[in-house]
Amino acid sequence: MNTFRVMFKTEMKLTIRDMNILIFGVGFSVVLTVILGIVMGNKPALEGSEYSFMEQSFGAIVSVGIAATGLMGIPLVVSDYRHKKILKRFKVTPVNPAMLLMVQVLVHFLMSAISLIMVYGTSVLFFDYSMRGPFLVFILSYLLVLFSIYSFGMLLASISPNIKTANLLCCLFYFPMLFLSGATLPYEIMPEMMQKAANFLPLTQGIMLLKATALGLPVHNMLMPVTIMIALAVISIIVSIRFFRWE
Amino acid sequence: MISKVLTVEGLTKSYERVLAVDNLNFEVSKGEIFGLLGHNGAGKSTSIECILGVKKADSGQITVLELDPVANRKQLFEKVGVQFQQMNYQEKIMVGELCDLTHSFYKTPADWQELLKTFGLSGKEKQMVSELSGGERQRLSVLLALIPNPELVFLDELTTGLDTKARCDVWKYLSMLKEKGLTIILTSHYIDEVKNLCDRICILKRGCTVALDTVAEVIRKSPFDNLEDAYLWYSGEEETQNEHF
Repeated sequence: MNTFRVMFKTEMKLTIRDMNILIFGVGFSVVLTVILGIVMGNKPALEGSEYSFMEQSFGAIVSVGIAATGLMGIPLVVSDYRHKKILKRFKVTPVNPAMLLMVQVLVHFLMSAISLIMVYGTSVLFFDYSMRGPFLVFILSYLLVLFSIYSFGMLLASISPNIKTANLLCCLFYFPMLFLSGATLPYEIMPEMMQKAANFLPLTQGIMLLKATALGLPVHNMLMPVTIMIALAVISIIVSIRFFRWE
Repeated sequence: MISKVLTVEGLTKSYERVLAVDNLNFEVSKGEIFGLLGHNGAGKSTSIECILGVKKADSGQITVLELDPVANRKQLFEKVGVQFQQMNYQEKIMVGELCDLTHSFYKTPADWQELLKTFGLSGKEKQMVSELSGGERQRLSVLLALIPNPELVFLDELTTGLDTKARCDVWKYLSMLKEKGLTIILTSHYIDEVKNLCDRICILKRGCTVALDTVAEVIRKSPFDNLEDAYLWYSGEEETQNEHF
């Protein structure tokens, strides 16, 4: 237990010192909340919508934290530790190198949770936001999307033979998902063609789920995204186990 | 009390079609300093990695402190310290953090603050490992291998990049630990280091054992009267030498 505590403390400090996740995961999502809040704020989401733009966007904004930690943070740190043979060095200690992976997932989960809390706090305090759906259902859907995207992040780390490929894959998945899945640019204002393409991105489905639960939409809106999230997690885990290398 | 700390029997490892280690056999007793010598690519690091269980040998029997390094990994590495060549660490980790983290892995670790003093690194706790000089990093990697308070330590090129003074200090400290019963297995490119530290040596040439004995005997069996020339003779490319073994 002591090992886990010291390792968690150290890796958390290193993640904060590194700044990347703080900037792209936490800072970026708060700035996005403020900008969208100031520009659109309490206006109706669409002409005649019963909920405000902020209420509609909340589920999308909080996905930024999940995407930054799961599609950039985790794959990059795992392939970096493998490349530097840090995971290999753990094999000549009494500690299982899997503990380091667990600690990293936990650190990133915490950063994502901080991002969620900051976005929620900012929207409630400054932009009259209130969640329409039941809070617990939203949290459950948030955890499902996070689990699914993190599994996909592990898949990226597992299939990358080196840090350059990992970097490339992260850019290839992170940025399109950030801009095209509705995390930053609202899905609702995209042209139909673009929406159809965006539907193929896993994060789009995750955001649909987060939006549906945040807005308290009827259950049938959630079935498709929930299925896709579970399928993505299962496939990612199987592929990760098949291809993961400690060095 | 275990007298045989390490037994290697018939260790063989090849990469695709290249034979890296061919039928390696040796034993190391408690309190001994054993040196593994050879040119780059002779199979030193591969041998060590197979002995430690991080690489899977094609065949051979390895026993370390009466344990199987793969099956009893958790138990074994409580008592075995390892320094690999050119160790890398987490980005932006400080010396103190790295020592504290390593310290947390073990049940009965050494006092790392004391070790920092011994290795001339005290006061560097708050410095990033990446900002240390080459020599300081090298000393840190040896220090980390000693944090478990080990009974056996593997040191792969322990003083590469150190200046004369630092090397002498490391040697003195290791000799002191040997007096206390520590067993050391090392690889080195420096003949003076081997002469200074090792009780027995094994010289590898393209994965084959070409000499295995005490330093004095290895010299005696060669046509030369010093270890430098004897080493070059054993590890050289002449084909005639193979008849001797």
